[in-house]
Amino acid sequence: MYCVADREPKINEIEGSQNNFYSICHNDLYAVAGKVKQMEFGEEGLKRNMADFQWVKRKISIHEKIIEQIMTDTPVIPFKFGTLFNTDNSLKAMLEQYGEEFKAILRKLADKQEWGLKIYCNLEKLKAGLVKNEADILKIENEIGSSSAGKAYILKRKKDEIIENILNDRINECSKESFELLKELSFEAHINRLLPREVTEREDDMVLNSAFLVVRDEVCDFQNMVDTLKMHYEGKGFLIDCTGPWPPYNFCGLPKGKGQNE
Amino acid sequence: MNSVITKTKNVTVLEILDRVLDKGVVISGDMVISVADVDLIYLGLKVLLSSVETMKKLRGSSFVGPMQEAK
Repeated sequence: MYCVADREPKINEIEGSQNNFYSICHNDLYAVAGKVKQMEFGEEGLKRNMADFQWVKRKISIHEKIIEQIMTDTPVIPFKFGTLFNTDNSLKAMLEQYGEEFKAILRKLADKQEWGLKIYCNLEKLKAGLVKNEADILKIENEIGSSSAGKAYILKRKKDEIIENILNDRINECSKESFELLKELSFEAHINRLLPREVTEREDDMVLNSAFLVVRDEVCDFQNMVDTLKMHYEGKGFLIDCTGPWPPYNFCGLPKGKGQNE
Repeated sequence: MNSVITKTKNVTVLEILDRVLDKGVVISGDMVISVADVDLIYLGLKVLLSSVETMKKLRGSSFVGPMQEAK
C-alpha cells in the first residue's frame, strides 16, 4: 500500500510499472497498492530483507517514486513503507474505517506542498570565524598575551567557555531564525529530531531538521526566503539544505486516538 | 535564483529514509513493519552492509546474501 488520494490516480504513467500497481476505489477514495510476494514481504522474508541495505534502498526508492508520480495530479496521503494487506477487501475495510479522516486530511493538503529544510553546521569553520571577529574573544586573547603563565591558563579556559557559549548562541540563532521565518510563510511547520553524523555520513553536524507545508502559490516566497537565509548564513559555517516538493509525509497524521502515528 | 534548491531527483537515500520509514500515515494493515527507530535500522543496515562487503573482499567470490551466509 502506497498512498490514498481523492481523485483517480493515473497508475499507467508510472514508469516501468509492468501492471504491478493498481488502485482500489471505495467511498470516493482511491488507495494505490501493488502486489508483493509473500516470500519477499511475509513476516520472515521481510525481517531478512529489512537487514539488507540494498534491498531497502531499492524498495523505498520505488515507494517514493510511485507516490511522487501520483501526487503530480492529485493530493495524496503517503503511507509509511511496509503497510501490508492480505487482501483487497481488508484494504477496503481500512478505507471504510478511516474514510472521513482521510477526506479531512486530503482537504487540508489540497494545493499545498511539503518542503524539507535541514541545516548543518561546521563547528570548526564557525569557530574560526568567531575567534577573528568577536570582541569578547579578542579581548581575552589580549589579556592572555600579557599575563603570567598561571593566569594565562585560567584565562584560556575562560576563553574556551566563552567560545562554547557563543557557538551555541549562533547555532540556536541560525536554526531558530530560519525555522521561524519559514514557518511564517507556511501553513504548518514541524521540527523533527536531529540525525547523528553516523547516519548522515557528513562531517558537519545537523542543527535543524524541519518540514514545512507550504501553499503552492506561496512556494516562490518560501524559496526566496531560503535563498535569503543561505546568503546570510552560508560561508559562516552553516549549510542550508532545502528539498522538495515532497509527498506530505510530515503533515498527514490522523487525529489523536484515531491512528497509530506516534 | 532558485537554482540552488535541490530537487527531489538528487536527494540522498537519507532524505527518503528519513520520511518513508519514519513518517507517513501509520495504520496497521494486516501487517505493518515496525520501525521504531530509523537511526537504529539505518545504522544496523550500514554495519551489516560493511561487513558484507568485507566478507566479499575476503572471499573474493560472488556474494550470496547476508542471511544465507549466516546460516
